Amino acid sequence: MASDDELSLLVIVVDVNPIWWGQQAQREPEFTLSKCMDAVMVMSNAHLVMTRSNKLAIIASHCRESHFLYPNKHWKAGDFAGDESSCGSRDGKYELLTVGNDLISEEIKNLMERTEVRGQQTETLLAGSLAKALCYIHRVTKELDAGQEMKSRILVIKAADDSALQYMNFMNVIFAAQKQSILIDACVLDADSGLLQQACDITGGLYLKVPQKIALAQYLLWVFLPDSDQRSQLVLPPPVHVDYRAACFCHRNLIEIGYVCSVCLSIFCNFSPICTTCETAFKIALPHAMKAKKKKLKPTT
Amino acid sequence: MATSSEEVLLVVKRVRQKKQDGALYLMAERVAWAPEGKDRFSVSHLYADIRCTAMATSSEEVLLVVKRVRQKKQDGALYLMAERVAWAPEGKDRFSVSHLYADIRCQKISPDGKSKIQLQLVLHTGETTNFHFTSESSAMKDRDAAKDLLQQLLPKFKRKANKELEEKNRMLQEDPLLFQLYKDLVVSQVISAEEFWANRVSMNSVDHSLTNSKQEVGISAAFLADVRPQTDGCNGLRYNLTSDIIESIFRTYPAVKQKYGENVPHNLTEKEFWTRFFQSHYFHRDRISTGSQDLFAECGKLDEQGLKSMVGQGVRNSMVDLTSLEDKSLDEGYGISSGPSTSSHNKTLKENSNAAIIKRFNHHSAMVLATGLRKQDAQNEQNGETSSTDGNSKDSDFFQPSVKKVKLQEAIEYADLEQENGRKPVALNLKKSDRYSHGPTPVQCQQYATSQDIINSVNCIRHEIADYTPRLTQVLSSSTASTAIAALSPGGVLMQGGTQQAINQMVPNDTQCELKHLYVAAGELLRHFWSCFPVNTPFLEEKVVKMRSNLERFQVTKLCPFQEKMQRQYLSTNLTGHLEEMLQTAYNKFHAWQTRRMLRKT
Repeated sequence: MASDDELSLLVIVVDVNPIWWGQQAQREPEFTLSKCMDAVMVMSNAHLVMTRSNKLAIIASHCRESHFLYPNKHWKAGDFAGDESSCGSRDGKYELLTVGNDLISEEIKNLMERTEVRGQQTETLLAGSLAKALCYIHRVTKELDAGQEMKSRILVIKAADDSALQYMNFMNVIFAAQKQSILIDACVLDADSGLLQQACDITGGLYLKVPQKIALAQYLLWVFLPDSDQRSQLVLPPPVHVDYRAACFCHRNLIEIGYVCSVCLSIFCNFSPICTTCETAFKIALPHAMKAKKKKLKPTT
Repeated sequence: MATSSEEVLLVVKRVRQKKQDGALYLMAERVAWAPEGKDRFSVSHLYADIRCTAMATSSEEVLLVVKRVRQKKQDGALYLMAERVAWAPEGKDRFSVSHLYADIRCQKISPDGKSKIQLQLVLHTGETTNFHFTSESSAMKDRDAAKDLLQQLLPKFKRKANKELEEKNRMLQEDPLLFQLYKDLVVSQVISAEEFWANRVSMNSVDHSLTNSKQEVGISAAFLADVRPQTDGCNGLRYNLTSDIIESIFRTYPAVKQKYGENVPHNLTEKEFWTRFFQSHYFHRDRISTGSQDLFAECGKLDEQGLKSMVGQGVRNSMVDLTSLEDKSLDEGYGISSGPSTSSHNKTLKENSNAAIIKRFNHHSAMVLATGLRKQDAQNEQNGETSSTDGNSKDSDFFQPSVKKVKLQEAIEYADLEQENGRKPVALNLKKSDRYSHGPTPVQCQQYATSQDIINSVNCIRHEIADYTPRLTQVLSSSTASTAIAALSPGGVLMQGGTQQAINQMVPNDTQCELKHLYVAAGELLRHFWSCFPVNTPFLEEKVVKMRSNLERFQVTKLCPFQEKMQRQYLSTNLTGHLEEMLQTAYNKFHAWQTRRMLRKT
């Protein structure tokens, strides 16, 4: 029975950074934002069709805002019957899918039309979109009937590069998702993103860097359509090795061994007698001259 | 001396009997023995009296022979020798059953009431041998004689070294890892057993002393009630006394213990003592002092004295002193003055006897409680005479007024309701706190776009999306789809990292177990080896050399077969690389030390 099914909510966060996509259109005309949106629509239709009780939300992550492409605030399930522009499904598709697709295309057009890029706002507001996704999931969870359970996951389709300024917000979002047992999957089109790798590792999702952008729909359907229960039964790409090294505070280099101030916990790659963050003075004892080996030590060079 | 008519058939000199030197004379009708230097026979047996002879080895001395002993439904005789006990069937002169005293763990006898009078020997191995004494007249006596002799002999032969062996066995049984290590190293003769136990036995003795300090079991206050008499059928009562009850009685009433010590076994047997005890009025409910020669009349008097002293000392712990909670009258109308309620004139006879019983109960409870404290006091003070054992709780000694005050304060104050007046912590003073918000991402963008680029891109995308209609039937061509699927299938481009992570699924479980055992054994040997450095003493030098040979032996006997086995199983993963590396490091160290030693010598 439908009431016994566990609900599954998929939130797709699509990176629609206009600058990157504009440059992409010039670089590779066969894969543009339109194609990407088509692939996303195919994936969302497939998700809705898998089980009747599946839910969907799509968020467009822009450099100035995060906008819900689906569901629309003003749309209700029974509305389409009286609408003039749509007279049912033109190609025999399930009406919900038709309406959904129409909505998405309309919204993305509106969003891109009102794009204005000012100044240095060239980076995608990914952390904000993820936070909105989490809030939406939280709201839907609260609106469930008693006894219904819901499993949710977020799929991030990332195009532009990471934003260094959003690091703290991003990490907070990741930990919040981990606490709520929400998976974060990542499908990366261009450059590897360390933040998303960490997100997938911490929450238990899948990270995939797509080798061929034009086959995006295939990758989405193969890897990201099954939910977490089904993934344990499938052979999917193995997890990526995540670089968890910290960056030193002085040069922002990634280091494996360093010095940590015991007062403010800031990380340095070289010893300095005064911590530059909290201005505590330190003394360090020089190591004694090494005597003959007494313990069983592995020779490290 | 032999009578004149007797013909001496055989004389054997240098024959000992009951530790005396002498000679054995076999005559026509009897066998006799005379001590050396004497001319009278001290032992003489007619052949008619002899049932059979025993085969003892020439050096053995027979301490006791018991005839008419059955074993496994065969008649025979039991022989207790100097070092062993043996039994021979009737008519035979070979022992069919023989046990060294050292092998016997304990002996058991059948209870007195049973028709069969038996003696059972339990060996260390768990085997038991039963002997049934069937002589009509003296079976009981025979059995008891045998039992007493064994009781004296067995303790002499208890192997002292057995205790250590048992300890080691216990350790091996308790710790399966240790057992496995033992099997790997000692049984396969990589190192000797002494080396193995050298470090461990010292740990062992510490543990032993710890486990010995167990808690003492207290005495149940109802132990006297457990001694329930049963009617014997003929107007008598049977009291079943176990050693627990006896111990309880001794611990609670030291006076009884004293009496026991004085009278048993000189004047009375145990049985008689206890019979007297139960018969005495001391034990009974109504203690009417008879003034007779009752053994326990004194005990009664001592108890009375003890009780009086207890009451006299009073209660020192003022928190529980009920006698101080009396109304004290100030004046008429203020409080009630109560006269002494325990005047003995007005009591009826019934009240008197009730009072006596209550007094006995109180005394009994006080003695039971005191046993728990007596142990503490005995440990604290050398001579327990000045200790306040009977009747006083230990903490009453410490109840000075200051302690009482502290206790009262504890009861009325709650720490978390107090005001917080902790020290102010040092404030953290951060100058550049924005450093924390940068993650391990580069400070600046990799790509720098000019503003013209930006404007162009935005316009481009706007144009494109303005004409956007979803064409979902043309999202994917079959060739791109199949290349994508190929990349995602096992062995494809994206699936490369998978096989390396499943190493614990690729290697079978028993190989994993064996590898673990190898690591544990190698670790043990390497620990011995590396603990020898720096080599200061000649003992350590020897040990280092020995350990190196042990390591080599380990490698040859254990590691190489394991590697061959793995090769046979076509396991490509190198599971033993690290082990070999460790061993090689040890060899290198040994080699370096040896060359240095050679150089020093020359």
